[in-house]
Amino acid sequence: MATQYSHCSSSSTAFPPSSFKNERCMYRKSISVPTRAYFARWVSHDHSGKHFELKSSNGHPLNAVSFEDAEKPLAKELPLSELGEPDSNLSITIVGASGDLAKKKIFPALFALFYEDCLPENFTVFGYARSKMTDEELRNMISKTLTCRIDKSENCGDKMDQFLTRCFYHSGQYNSEEHFLELDGKLKEKEAGRLSNRLFYLSIPPNIFVDVVRCASLKASSTTGWTRVIVEKPFGRDFESSGQLTRCLKQYLTEDQIFRIDHYLGKELVENLSVLRFSNLVFEPLWSRNYIRNVQLIFSEDFGTEGRGGYFDNYGIIRDIMQNHLLQILALFAMETPVSLDAEDIRNEKVKVLKSMRPLLLEDLVVGQYKGHSRGGKLYLGYTDDPTVPKNSVTPTFAAAALFINNARWDGVPFLMKAGKALHTKRAEIRVQFRHVPGNLYKRNFGTDLDKATNELVLRVQPDEAVYLKINNKVPGLGMRLDRSDLNLLYSARYPKEIPDAYERLLLDAIEGERRLFIRSDELDAAWTLFTPLLKELEEKKIAPELYPYGSRGPVGAHYLAAKHNVRWGDLSGEDS
Amino acid sequence: MSTLYSSNHCPSSSSSQSPGAVATTVSPSDNETPFKKLKDELLSVTPPEEFTDVAGFDVKEEKSTVSITVVGASGDLAKKKIFPALFALYYEGCLPEQFTVFGYARSKMTDAELRNMVSRTLTCRIDKRSNSALSFGLGPVFALFESKLFGLHERLHPFGFFRENCGEKMEQFLERCFYHSGQYDSQADFAELDKKLKEHEAGKVSNRLFYLSIPPNIFIDAVRCASLSSSSPNGWTRVIVEKPFGRDSESSAALTRALKQYLKEDQIFRIDHYLGKELVENLSVLRFSNLIFEPLWSRQFIRNVQLIFAEDFGTEGRGGYFDNYGIIRDIMQNHLLQILALFAMETPVSLDAEDIRNEKVKVLRSMRPLQLDDVAIGQYKSHTRGGVTYPAYTDDKTVPKDSLTPTFAAAALFIDNARWDGVPFLMKAGKALHDRRAEIRVQFRHVPGNLYKRNFGTDLDQATNELVIRVQPDEAIYLKINNKVPGLGMRLDRSNLNLLYAARYSKEIPDAYERLLLDAIEGERRLFIRSDELDAAWSLFTPVLKELEEKKIVPEYYPYGSRGPVGAHYLAARYKVRWGDIAIDK
Repeated sequence: MATQYSHCSSSSTAFPPSSFKNERCMYRKSISVPTRAYFARWVSHDHSGKHFELKSSNGHPLNAVSFEDAEKPLAKELPLSELGEPDSNLSITIVGASGDLAKKKIFPALFALFYEDCLPENFTVFGYARSKMTDEELRNMISKTLTCRIDKSENCGDKMDQFLTRCFYHSGQYNSEEHFLELDGKLKEKEAGRLSNRLFYLSIPPNIFVDVVRCASLKASSTTGWTRVIVEKPFGRDFESSGQLTRCLKQYLTEDQIFRIDHYLGKELVENLSVLRFSNLVFEPLWSRNYIRNVQLIFSEDFGTEGRGGYFDNYGIIRDIMQNHLLQILALFAMETPVSLDAEDIRNEKVKVLKSMRPLLLEDLVVGQYKGHSRGGKLYLGYTDDPTVPKNSVTPTFAAAALFINNARWDGVPFLMKAGKALHTKRAEIRVQFRHVPGNLYKRNFGTDLDKATNELVLRVQPDEAVYLKINNKVPGLGMRLDRSDLNLLYSARYPKEIPDAYERLLLDAIEGERRLFIRSDELDAAWTLFTPLLKELEEKKIAPELYPYGSRGPVGAHYLAAKHNVRWGDLSGEDS
Repeated sequence: MSTLYSSNHCPSSSSSQSPGAVATTVSPSDNETPFKKLKDELLSVTPPEEFTDVAGFDVKEEKSTVSITVVGASGDLAKKKIFPALFALYYEGCLPEQFTVFGYARSKMTDAELRNMVSRTLTCRIDKRSNSALSFGLGPVFALFESKLFGLHERLHPFGFFRENCGEKMEQFLERCFYHSGQYDSQADFAELDKKLKEHEAGKVSNRLFYLSIPPNIFIDAVRCASLSSSSPNGWTRVIVEKPFGRDSESSAALTRALKQYLKEDQIFRIDHYLGKELVENLSVLRFSNLIFEPLWSRQFIRNVQLIFAEDFGTEGRGGYFDNYGIIRDIMQNHLLQILALFAMETPVSLDAEDIRNEKVKVLRSMRPLQLDDVAIGQYKSHTRGGVTYPAYTDDKTVPKDSLTPTFAAAALFIDNARWDGVPFLMKAGKALHDRRAEIRVQFRHVPGNLYKRNFGTDLDQATNELVIRVQPDEAIYLKINNKVPGLGMRLDRSNLNLLYAARYSKEIPDAYERLLLDAIEGERRLFIRSDELDAAWSLFTPVLKELEEKKIVPEYYPYGSRGPVGAHYLAARYKVRWGDIAIDK
């Protein structure tokens, strides 16, 4: 808590009050800051609320929704230090600036934050990569992917120009301390003697992570403020390599400088999962083996590797999706109530879940790989048809697994995961299937298959964010027929505003030193411990994946796996599209 | 099994899974309808092929008839509700093949005149889906197939096929309607009715249902005459009685005693049409066929329950009857209390009528009699709005100028049992309010140790979950939950998990009277009130009603079209409750 606290405040010193001109980010500031760290901070700081009270009535639709009362007290408690000092500067260096992720996600997310005035007044963005490029060329490249939110398009061009003038480029090798020293010189120039906070976003292949961290840490660390490094997956490919990576990173960085990003944790509905559980009375009593029969975590993409399978083939779907994204969601779903919403408290609970889990067994896993399929005159290529993939690859592009948490709350409840590429639909969702009604009075109305008549809670993470609860209901009419209806909350109907991309939230959190949504080293270790034996076994035994046609519902093996644990996949029940 | 009958247009009688069917197999009574027995038999053994005829009734039934006599046929209820409901049942093929409808009243009228009168209020139901679902025109066989395909999801509505025939169906129905003029206290007149009924029954087994749609002071006379002079000699005779069932414990008991001189308990069908409402029926389904609600259904999680009834009009010149009863007797002691009992009862042994009514009586008997302190009463006064003057209750010419009869009441009730000890059940009913609604609101407790406490600000009361069952209008079920407002911050607000019936179910929901008439014909007593239930209900309300009248408690006046007297809020506040229907976030 103490370390957490000190880092939060170091982060907060970066923000001059004048940088928060826009109410929307004000709104975030005024709400989120005390929320996540209030146990640590809100009591102990001066309350300079007036500034915010004015802004809270900004008439933005979100603010108009409800809980108007909630704003003022929160705003009042906003610590002064969070606003930072006017004389600080934030530099964000994107290492690997010419890569895909940088272009598609990171620069646009930074621009969106800038647009919403979530970035401090003095900030610079540096692109760093090996290719030679001028600042102008970088700006040109970036500008192609920047977009303005639909609901806020006025001034968009102006804002873009303002943003681009803050963007610079530095060309250098990833393992050259000298080149990072040059970068340091440029950064210092921009910082112009102000307090310097530096964020490095490593958007580079894993084999050069450590080199970059070494060079950046030794030659381009901030001397006056904080230095943080955002790392993207893969974090190794098994327990050993991950441990090795962590050890190397820790030669140059302390734990709290490392921000391991799992962008699924930044998704709106994943964030909402804890809100649903802990701010409503009606869910938590049901949240255990007493009432929950199984939990399903489902991820599917409707496209394959499409010529970019080189990286993927070395990892496979289990490492790419399950061991991180789905497992993280599982841990959030299943954790005990944390002491507070503080990052360390939440991550402590998540680690406990991971440590209570049984390592995954080969018999509880089904792997698949998509094959070519021709439909409507169009030919979809198989995975091994990808020129970047070895012809004899047995890398799974689909996997289904049954996991178990051996603790008092979840003993015996199967947590089923399923992830795949080149399936018939694109979706990510959490499905909670409840048990039978004991001694159901309406048994006869359901016919013989009571399994079809259980309640189900679905959190659809993407696309079309929604929360719905399947209930049994009487079909209106003179008879007594029951059917399943949904208690629905479709986000697009309820919340007209565009939902921010996960990267925006995570970048902002990293800037603010909020670690709740980043993965701690011990979490990562625990996650690998669960999957490593199985991954080894798969590779040693060269288990051949079940082939499934591109665009299909995946291998049928997933159904047999589910059946083994008396589960029926909720997404393929035919009731849902 | 349920799909088996989908071509005969009458889901209730057709479904082997209907609780009625369950009930009758569990405890057959000697008053059992042969028609019903037959159905149960058929349901369990007969292969579907025998049921492909559209009428859906077997030849064996030709030997029995049902005569429905509407006593008070020229009254408002008969015209607006009973005849149309009978027609709807006929239209859907829910009435037995051999049936006759008799109107009985004092006025002289010919059969043709009655038919003419009845025909004005008959309507054919509009089925929104009829075009899309049934444009194939493949007929009932297709419907059978289709509903098998879709299982529990969709019951195809017959009107899609036959809606064009509506006029024809009306004609056919009206041909079965007859009129008999007579005094309500004349055995001779009822003997004449008997003769006419026999004529129509033509020697077949005769089942007779009398619907008393008459003022309470002639209930007994009509029952005496009907029972003595026109009971069925070889089938069943049942009498449907509408409220008021007395005006206090004593008069209600006297009425029951008098009825029982002529009828047995199982011949008496006390109707409470609120129990026939779709969402009231669904209340038990929600509770007992879902896992997720029942664990929450107790004092441990529920903070209070609100039963709300509002009408947006006054007595409008017809206050004579009302003034003698008042809103507490008219709405609370029956409709709202019945819903409360259904809501709060323990899980019954089965869906059998006696099992359910046993549990309801237990709730009523566990309740504390209502105290004067726990009641707030009001009466509407005149109000001018937009140039229109709405009259006060006492402006109604049929109401005494100095009437203190409440047109609004709010009450706090308590059930002193293990499940509900300390949970306030708040009732509110009123006329001439700002809107028309009937709903059940369940407010849950705070989240203990809420992690997101600060996000709600100071008023945690506003952030509790609430389950709302809207009985009318726009039937709906929704659960208010706290949710994160999408965006970079961590703002919470309340959203609804929604089920709006109009969006989910495209069929028109049958009127409560249809369901109840059908149940009476089938001998299903689940939705009718047993004598001991009625006694228990009166013993809760009688002391306070007496006290109100003896002390001549003056009601709080509220303007016509307003939200009712503020006294209701103070009453709620006393029990730390906030009325959910007048909350800001609506």
